[in-house]
Amino acid sequence: MLRYSFLFEQMCRRELRQKYKGSALGVVWYFINPLVLMGVYALVFSVMLKVIDIPDYPLFLILGLIVWVFFAQSVVAAAPSLVQNDRLIRKVQFPRETIPAAATTVQFATFLIMLAIVLPVALLVRGSLDPALLLLIPVVAALFAFVLGATLAASVLHAHYRDVEPVLATALLPWFFITPIFFQTEKLPGASEYPLIADALTWGNPIAPFVGSLREILYAGAMPSLAQLVYVIAAGAIALTLGSLLFRRMQRDLAVIL
Amino acid sequence: MSLFGDGLGARSGAPERGEVVLDRASRSFTLSTDRPLTLKEAVVRRRRHERKEVHALREVDLRIAPGEAVGLIGRNGAGKTSTLRCLAGIVPLDSGRAECGGRIATLIELGSGFGGDFSGRENVYLNGALHGFSRAEIEERLDSIREFSELGEFFDLPVRAYSAGMYLRLGFAIIAHLDADVLLIDEILAVGDESFQRKCLKRISERMAAGATLVLVSHDPAAVERVCERVIVLDGGRIAHDGDVAGGLLHYHRMLGADSGGSQSMRPEDAIRPLQIAQLELRDSEGRRRHMYRTGEPLTVELEVVTESQLERRALLALEVRDQRGELCFRTDHSLGIPERSTRVSFEVPGLTLLGGDYDLAVGAYEHEAPGVRLLDRVARFAVAETSGAQGVADLRGKWQVEGQAAAEAVETPSSPLGAEAAAQP
Repeated sequence: MLRYSFLFEQMCRRELRQKYKGSALGVVWYFINPLVLMGVYALVFSVMLKVIDIPDYPLFLILGLIVWVFFAQSVVAAAPSLVQNDRLIRKVQFPRETIPAAATTVQFATFLIMLAIVLPVALLVRGSLDPALLLLIPVVAALFAFVLGATLAASVLHAHYRDVEPVLATALLPWFFITPIFFQTEKLPGASEYPLIADALTWGNPIAPFVGSLREILYAGAMPSLAQLVYVIAAGAIALTLGSLLFRRMQRDLAVIL
Repeated sequence: MSLFGDGLGARSGAPERGEVVLDRASRSFTLSTDRPLTLKEAVVRRRRHERKEVHALREVDLRIAPGEAVGLIGRNGAGKTSTLRCLAGIVPLDSGRAECGGRIATLIELGSGFGGDFSGRENVYLNGALHGFSRAEIEERLDSIREFSELGEFFDLPVRAYSAGMYLRLGFAIIAHLDADVLLIDEILAVGDESFQRKCLKRISERMAAGATLVLVSHDPAAVERVCERVIVLDGGRIAHDGDVAGGLLHYHRMLGADSGGSQSMRPEDAIRPLQIAQLELRDSEGRRRHMYRTGEPLTVELEVVTESQLERRALLALEVRDQRGELCFRTDHSLGIPERSTRVSFEVPGLTLLGGDYDLAVGAYEHEAPGVRLLDRVARFAVAETSGAQGVADLRGKWQVEGQAAAEAVETPSSPLGAEAAAQP
């Protein structure tokens, strides 16, 4: 694997180049997307509808958005990645994981940059240098593992069954709305009325605890709950394990089916 | 092979550097409608019955020693490219073992994975990386790759702007500089201009002198003949012939369906050669075209050598007869001097000494001391009727002498006129 570290670097460059070839702003688009979403949601929900009463709402929003955008963009970029690189796969033997992993890593890099921009703002606006900040490292690592597992699975499944892309297109938008990005599940008016649904929204959606713990650390300036931390790390480990197992099992005939 | 078979232990060890091993290798492909399976179909398994199995490799055993140059030929779909892909590890086997010792470089089809927006230079990095090289290792080779590819300023332009020849040159330049122990090359030497081809061949032989092994898949017998010393003919996923080049090519041409009519060209359609055999016919003693002979019968080979340009060197004519296994039975070379635009040549055999069987008679003309090409150009098939009493390739025309008995003919063929004819000859 180490032998192919330079290949991995090359694949990341390729991914970046191909995504934004011929676009004037290039990589900047990666950052514009969550910022635009943040502005619109803040305007609609907080300023105009006034349905949401969360202090420093844009900060609250952007923390959820960067997690979501990282997850969604990675899966969308990685799912067709093996199919798009069919020429390489059919002609040379190399670790095929590098293809979806590179797509994910490029997204992860933009996530980290967004985080680096948001972090000082969050500290200024919300809190202090709390030791809980150190927990950012395991949470972000777990998030990367989770997304990498998902992209490995999505890419190899898509290579075998081309339904993955339409499934993603169908699933991602509703998934976005049930993820606590522009709301806090426990503060929803219906949450006390339907506690089961609230629990399902909190724990049944693997993205929610990632958003939750990131917000605890950066927005609330507190420790995430132990349950959240355990969930997040377990979700990362399980997703990565299952994703790579699936990839290993299904990658055998890639050169034939592509 | 039994479970405790001899050599199993030795064979299952890792191959040495440059060694190529196929051990009972099998691989089949399902030819379904070209549309990939959808999730629903996978779940319902509806389309199972629509699929057709194609065996690309059936229990193939093969060993190529380090430093060998092997040509893999066969009809389309014979399993050539599949074999190459299995050796490269791109396509896994269904059963058996396929291994190459040491570092492998593959050039399968033109320009593996060139992204159109990437410059030649970037493609060098990408291809090096795909073959497991580090940045430093690639940078070390960058200048010689650039020079070898003859791309000049195009080297830093996007490959989108390249011609097919430039693509090829870059692709070959890269893999030729990867210091691979095993080079797996598919159908590339047929493209590109003659001078670049020569350069590729030179580079290949340099690599081989350094101990590298070459496996070349080609439809082009000329390419195989120029580079390889061993030819493997694949047919229906099995090895149909494994041996020296001339024998292998003959086998290949016979397999392509040499009919019993006239002669057949062995030349690839696009190959340009200064000297060509335009016609090749076998005639009997009465001048009739015939393809069935008896041992001892006279036979005349008639052919026409044509050239389109005025040659400066004298031309030589080669004539070979091979049996069905590709074994050489007879070869002769003859000087034609400086040939005219068209020269008719005949080769008279007073009495055929070959014994029963099918034979291929191949001829080719080449320039004296011309580099490379010694390819046989046309092949005609003929058969010699089975005779009783003698076995083997040639009739030695010996006479038995048993004390107290009259002398007897070596070959007792009462039905053939051989005895009378042989006796009639001085």
